[in-house]
Amino acid sequence: MKFSLLLLSLLSMSACAMGPNAAHKKEVAKIPPVKTETVDTPNETTVNVIYQEIKKEPLTKPAASKAPILKADKPVLISVVGQGVAPMNTTSPAQAYALAKRAATADAYRLIAEKVKGVNVDGQDLVKNMMVKRSTVRTSVQAMVKNANIVETTFKDGLCEVEMEITLSHSQFSH
Amino acid sequence: MRSRNGNNSFTLAIFSLILFHSLALNAASEYLISYRYVIKDATLYNEQLTIAKSMKKCLGNPYDSIMLEADTNASLKKIISKNKEKFIDYIHQLGLNIQHSQKVLNSQSKSTIILTLKTTCFKVDFNDNFAKISPLK
Repeated sequence: MKFSLLLLSLLSMSACAMGPNAAHKKEVAKIPPVKTETVDTPNETTVNVIYQEIKKEPLTKPAASKAPILKADKPVLISVVGQGVAPMNTTSPAQAYALAKRAATADAYRLIAEKVKGVNVDGQDLVKNMMVKRSTVRTSVQAMVKNANIVETTFKDGLCEVEMEITLSHSQFSH
Repeated sequence: MRSRNGNNSFTLAIFSLILFHSLALNAASEYLISYRYVIKDATLYNEQLTIAKSMKKCLGNPYDSIMLEADTNASLKKIISKNKEKFIDYIHQLGLNIQHSQKVLNSQSKSTIILTLKTTCFKVDFNDNFAKISPLK
């Protein structure tokens, strides 16, 4: 009897020393990630608790922003397709082709400039009485492009398409 | 009666005159060339190629030259107009400034592309059958 009393008192003391949350914490540690458990709170109300183990990783910037796009040993090839149409008042199909090709070439140059240098975008919306009255988007680019090559030209149904390529190497920008 | 010295100076003058003329005929000239064209809504709107003889000497060294076929005594304007496509492709290779602006208003788009070769000094060597054109930098 004495022995059992001693054992009980020892158990109660150890329980008090660990505190009320100790048992709870011990249980949390055992629960595998993403699992719903029913836990009896000291106030005897049953609640559903969701546990999820979250591995914290140090915040780092994306790798793409750190790595240089142009590497010394690897030139970058940029390919675009520009489109142009002939004006309505052409005197011959040959003239229409020449003018459409000129427009398509300029469009291809613009696409290269946009890819290499980027585009400025400016937007404006006018809302009156909860309705969009005017929506404006302005884009612009300004650049200088040289040594671009025309790879292929096609002319079909009044639309001229010019495929253009440019090779960017590290040495072009290093000096 | 003329003296020997006088005759010598006369022949020297004649020879120098001939030499000067022969050099002047094949001498390099300098021209200022600019090029600009405008594309509006994917259609060629305006194109300008301006050629003028330089009135003062240009500084710089020639690079990336082009050879154009030329008739004897033809001017640069005639030579270029005869080989216009080739020359314009060459100008593109030299490098053009690009200005592009697009405006989308209530889902209706308007775009303008302007390609420009700023006024550049070109050295032109005229020969019998061709002209060698090279920009100076």
